[in-house]
Amino acid sequence: MIFEKRTERIFLAIFFVVALCIPLFLEDNSFFVGKATTVLILAVFVMSLDFLVGRVGLVTLGHALFYGLGGYLFVILTPEYEAVNFWTYAIYIMAISALIALIVGVVVLRTSGIYFIMITLAISQMAYYFFFDSLEFGGNDGLFIFMKPETSIFGLSFLNLDNPSHFYYLALLAVLVTLLAIKIILRSRFGRIVEASRLNPERTEALGYNIFAFRLISYVIGSTLAAYAGLLFALQYGYVNPQFMTWEMSGTALVMSILGGLGTIYGAILGTLTYEGLQYVFEHMSEDWMLLMGGAIILMVLLLRKGLAGYLEKLLEK
Amino acid sequence: MSTELFFVQLINGIQYGLLLFLIASGLTLVFGVMGILNLAHGSMYMVGAYLVWYFVAVTGSFTASALLSAAIALGLGILIERLLIQRLYNRNHLDQVLLTIGMIFVFNSLQSILWGNDPYGVAVPEALSGSVPFTDNSSYPVYRIFAALICIAIAVALYFVVSKTRLGMLIRAGESNREMVEALGVNIKSLYTIVFAIGVMLAAVSGIIAAPMRSIVPGMGESVLITCFVVVVIGGMGSIKGAFVGALMVGIISTFATVLMPTLSNMIIYIFMILVLLVKPQGLFAK
Amino acid sequence: MANDIILETESLSKHWGGIKALDNISLQFRDRELHGVVGPNGAGKSTLLNMLCGTLNPTSGCIFHKGERIDGMKPWKFVRRGIGRSFQKTNIYAEVTCLENCAVAAQRRFTGSFNLFASRHANKLVREAAEKALCQVGLDRRIHTIAAEISYGEQRQLELAMVLATDPCILLLDEPMAGMGHEESLRIIELLNELKKTYSIVLVEHDMDAIFELSDQLTVLDNGTHLITGTVDQVRNEPQVKEAYLGKEEEEEAA
Repeated sequence: MIFEKRTERIFLAIFFVVALCIPLFLEDNSFFVGKATTVLILAVFVMSLDFLVGRVGLVTLGHALFYGLGGYLFVILTPEYEAVNFWTYAIYIMAISALIALIVGVVVLRTSGIYFIMITLAISQMAYYFFFDSLEFGGNDGLFIFMKPETSIFGLSFLNLDNPSHFYYLALLAVLVTLLAIKIILRSRFGRIVEASRLNPERTEALGYNIFAFRLISYVIGSTLAAYAGLLFALQYGYVNPQFMTWEMSGTALVMSILGGLGTIYGAILGTLTYEGLQYVFEHMSEDWMLLMGGAIILMVLLLRKGLAGYLEKLLEK
Repeated sequence: MSTELFFVQLINGIQYGLLLFLIASGLTLVFGVMGILNLAHGSMYMVGAYLVWYFVAVTGSFTASALLSAAIALGLGILIERLLIQRLYNRNHLDQVLLTIGMIFVFNSLQSILWGNDPYGVAVPEALSGSVPFTDNSSYPVYRIFAALICIAIAVALYFVVSKTRLGMLIRAGESNREMVEALGVNIKSLYTIVFAIGVMLAAVSGIIAAPMRSIVPGMGESVLITCFVVVVIGGMGSIKGAFVGALMVGIISTFATVLMPTLSNMIIYIFMILVLLVKPQGLFAK
Repeated sequence: MANDIILETESLSKHWGGIKALDNISLQFRDRELHGVVGPNGAGKSTLLNMLCGTLNPTSGCIFHKGERIDGMKPWKFVRRGIGRSFQKTNIYAEVTCLENCAVAAQRRFTGSFNLFASRHANKLVREAAEKALCQVGLDRRIHTIAAEISYGEQRQLELAMVLATDPCILLLDEPMAGMGHEESLRIIELLNELKKTYSIVLVEHDMDAIFELSDQLTVLDNGTHLITGTVDQVRNEPQVKEAYLGKEEEEEAA
């Protein structure tokens, strides 16, 4: 069983049942379905960050670099007025992102601790300004996606990405696959050494493991998942711009993952839902929703030691 | 580039670097002594600038406004440390990151509630409003020279406090050994409160000094925060000397880049920082 | 019956600025022998051990393993050559079970650790090796206990079990008996007596009785320099040693 905790199983069961039903009951409310899709895509991004920060021990403040990269790569690789195959290009984009993550990883993993936070931040800022200052890539306005790709596999097509409900299910599938992938990796033999390297790097090296290699591979995996989330986000809204890559984007994802319970993976979904839910409510309560949001974040840090997942586990375990 | 332009840019760069040092010194001091990464440090810079703008508008006197704003910042620092930061000393760094991100949200929206989102400017104080002739056909604003001198004065004062006084001795001891400071009979809690408040005040004072030179706009805190990160990382986190060297490097490099290679100017300090970290993964003056 | 030399140092030195933590040490460690290293605090014993396992790079001098020069290599490469070490300060994965601690150590021997899919619990050989190592040091009843929850002495035993689980040919042990109760120590002495028949062991230890009983060869370090290497009797009768080390000990005891 890859879901070890009862809380985890209960939460995920409820989440997937409710999530599966949402478009059925809200078929006509395409705004809400669209909003829900965005939240799911963000959850994929936050899960990939939670894996890196909470499980591998790589606190990155530059994760949004790959989120933006997923979007930019799609526009750069595809012809402007022709619907390409989604799956083919998703694979291309993830492969290129993985290669870029490998190169970036070799550089950033030379540092550790607070310097790792800073160098990841610096590299994503560099990418941000690269796209921001470039004319070819549309500068601050970014690039537009005029044709949504088609999604047939072996000639069979189930999903039409112009239909909000279909796009929603594509995002939900991404959540499921990401969750399973991360959980399977964490349980694997590779995951054992990754866990050991986080708990005690010195010891792990003294047991004969090249922890650099394990961290690098993990970094590539986390970054590639983030690129996939970014690709979905760009396709949903039909554009990509440098705002995808801001450090605020990385910072907000980090907030969501800590809020949910760092390293719990399912907590990343919980944190994303809570944060987005709170923001939605606060925005409707007051123009100054940031004050309420900031207050809520501060209160939660002070009151919840291990995030929302930690709180739920205290209630539900044993 | 003519020699004349070169020197003007060099002085601009040094002056910008000195200002960066003033902001970064607070960040690196708080990190070095308390081990806290204060992401809301940039917000304190913003608070300083807005406060001095507000008080100048009310009182008309820059000096009085500056002193009043600095005093309020000191009080704010004590308040934040006592109310919030103190509760997180036994938690991990990420909780501190989360808390200070929450503080950024709060300060940004308070700024927008209290003063709106229009950009503001503070007039240069009358006594400092002239220019010093530089060559036959160029001159340099007096206020900028004054600002640079103030930054140098504060840098010297900071050096003196840290290396020559009892407080400085405790700060240096606190960096290496918490227990030792406690064994000396010093209440580490008060020391931390003082250090954090000084850090906040340094950021606010930078905002005050910068106010007549730069426009006062929402989000000014975050952009300066990121630049300061670059500064302290190049210098070595926690090292005041490193912050000084790093700030001058960043100031000069980014000033020249704006003139020489405008398309790269935003990226150049990050590229520089990455190069430094590749050679010295702990910064130039790592402990 | 001289055994083969398996690990050798040649003029090994480590300087920290002007301080010579270790100066010009040439030693030979032989197969299936227990080589004790003693000396007062600050003699350089831990520095020596840290260089032998690759975590510290020597300032000058060389280290040879089976005739091949290995200094300057990464620590994890030392382990792959069969040089395993235990730490002076307990260094375990406190958050997971004792079995998992040893499984991390054993996994590298049996399967690829870059497998992203196969469950970490699936490989029987890893589990058996981990259990065997725990039984060897007498932790058979603690297999499923979280490492943070066992006693300090037991954690020292676990530390040793983890080294054994890597299946080394040379064991570098840094005060394995520090902080152990009398009975636990006896058990470890018995274990080491058993182990030295198959492994080569370098033992740094403060417990004099233990080290005199166990050592085939004994090296005395003082202040970073090499005083003498020989059998226990040779070392005991060396006047220089009495003066530098054993003398002090007696004085301490008298005081």
